[in-house]
Amino acid sequence: MTAAQFEARVAANTRLGGGYFSLELEAEEPTPVAAARPGQFVMLRGAWGRELLNPRAFSVLHAEGKRLTILAKAYGQGTRRMWALRPGEPMTVTGPLGVGFPDPDPEITDLLVAGGVGLPPLHMQARVAAAAGLAGKQELFYGGRDREDLVLLADFERWGVAATLATEDGSVGVRGYVTTALAPRLEQARAAGERVRVLSCGPTPMLVAVRQIGLAHEVQTLLCLEENMACGFGVCLGCAVPVHGVKPYRYCCTDGPVFDARELRWP
Amino acid sequence: MSGAPRTSGPALVPGLLPHTVELGCEFGPLLLKSPLLAASGCFAYGQQFAAFTDLRALGGLSTKGISPLPRHGNPLPRICETAAGMLNSIGLENVGVEAFVRDKLPFLRDLGISVWVNFFGTDFATYIECARLLGGAPGVDVLEMNISCPNIKQGGIEFGTVPEVAHRLTRACVEVSGAPIVVKLTPNAGDIVGMADAVRQAGAMGVSLINTITGMAIDVRSRRPRIATTYGGLSGPAIKPIALRMVHQVATALPGLPICGMGGVLSGEDALEFLMAGAGCVQIGTANFAEPGAVQRITAELRALMAELGLRRVADAVASLRPWPLEAAYQTPAAGEFST
Ligand SMILES: Cc1cc2nc3c(=O)[nH]c(=O)nc-3n(C[C@H](O)[C@H](O)[C@H](O)COP(=O)(O)O)c2cc1C
Ligand code: FES
Repeated sequence: MTAAQFEARVAANTRLGGGYFSLELEAEEPTPVAAARPGQFVMLRGAWGRELLNPRAFSVLHAEGKRLTILAKAYGQGTRRMWALRPGEPMTVTGPLGVGFPDPDPEITDLLVAGGVGLPPLHMQARVAAAAGLAGKQELFYGGRDREDLVLLADFERWGVAATLATEDGSVGVRGYVTTALAPRLEQARAAGERVRVLSCGPTPMLVAVRQIGLAHEVQTLLCLEENMACGFGVCLGCAVPVHGVKPYRYCCTDGPVFDARELRWP
Repeated sequence: MSGAPRTSGPALVPGLLPHTVELGCEFGPLLLKSPLLAASGCFAYGQQFAAFTDLRALGGLSTKGISPLPRHGNPLPRICETAAGMLNSIGLENVGVEAFVRDKLPFLRDLGISVWVNFFGTDFATYIECARLLGGAPGVDVLEMNISCPNIKQGGIEFGTVPEVAHRLTRACVEVSGAPIVVKLTPNAGDIVGMADAVRQAGAMGVSLINTITGMAIDVRSRRPRIATTYGGLSGPAIKPIALRMVHQVATALPGLPICGMGGVLSGEDALEFLMAGAGCVQIGTANFAEPGAVQRITAELRALMAELGLRRVADAVASLRPWPLEAAYQTPAAGEFST
């Protein structure tokens, strides 16, 4: 589906605690974003005048017909403004952009490793799988700082997707990083001859750890990255990602945001 | 506006219908469909925009800067947002002359708009090589020679800041190029008029100004510069007043030299400011990132604004700035002349 830029209005802005909010937008007509795959993203910009020039990239959490929803955390200047948006306020949307995760596969178990605000692509992957009767082939590993950092858990429960939780303060699930739970699970899969792959999205230090664990276990590991983006459609060349190969860089917005861990020139 | 001073200048005929405004205009030997072009580095090689906008509505476009050999660009992070603008240090990444002429140029040639190929080298020899190869390629209307090179380390700075060096470089490129050369100047030059004059005398058809202004931003939490090369080029509305001033200085000092103005244009009004300051055409850069249809929207706004102001043709607007009156009443009294 080719991307388009269109105007939308805020249909709902739901605060989820911990600075998280889900923002639902509605356009006048059905939008191409409805065809978005897990991992694909949109660029959003509000009526921000001249001070905040560039749009912000958000993974699509959900999209259907005229509506699309993203999950964000009030953090920088753009997201703080979005946090305060009220129904009816305008937003310019460009999308769907990028290349997402592969479809759920009945033969393979997807280990979805999410950190904080990196949940949306994995949330969508689980939903797509559940709709195809493959909820049993999805397992969530979700980590955050504290209880408030883990959102939308009820959805996974409703779909019947098993979840392993981790918080740094130990308030929910195991204490520590979510990646500590990943290695034992991969060993278990190896012992049982079970086919698994790792799909992950979250803060870069977490992705670095996920990549190392995935590579060490020789399991396909797909990482959904976040880079500074000015355009989102391959023209500013700002979102370079270091890779192995003939060229030292590929582009997060057009070649990604999903990259194979083996390809990345990372620690 | 009632108290605004009125001096000379064409009488305004306010309230024309937009369709009576003629945007087609001359720029040196060129005939442009519109004075608004997309700026180098902000429009890639054009293709990506076809999905979003009617490229034929553009007056033209300037490509990403081309060098003789492909370049991979700088380490990341390469960009960051700043107040009313952004910093970039892309490192002039491009596909190189050969791939450009083979893979990118045919698409641009077929659009029927003015094709400006932005180019640069790393030394005299590579500049000349580029000018020869690109200046002879069919479909190239202008070679826009980037002598700013803010993101090239060695010696690049001299090309854009020492008039004598810029003169020699321009002359050498003009001699081998089959297409007219417009030299893109850097605001980091101390004497912008001296630079413009130097390249004019060397045979440049015109000048483009301004390129980005060297700047910096810091992330206090990590204590790191926000872009990997520490300094980067600032673009966007933040630089518009500086760009306008430079266009005006060059236009005033060197009347008759075609100027392509740019820096922070986001609206038809911004574009008209550049025309009034003395630019014959205007490029739009950073605005394209947030809005791939920016040039088309700004063109419609310019047309409507010109109609409102009674400006029938682009030439009516170019360098049409009115001076403030010099009547005694408006002057600041000399010290001691005014007492209470
Ligand atoms: C990401 C980026 C890349 C650029 N690349 C080039 C380039 O390759 N060659 C060049 O002459 N100017 C380049 N420029 C400068 C622009 O063409 C323009 O001169 C400048 O950004 C000011 O205009 P603006 O404020 O409308 O963006 C680049 C600007 C940006 C933001
Ligand atoms: S964000 Fe502009 S090229 Fe990727």
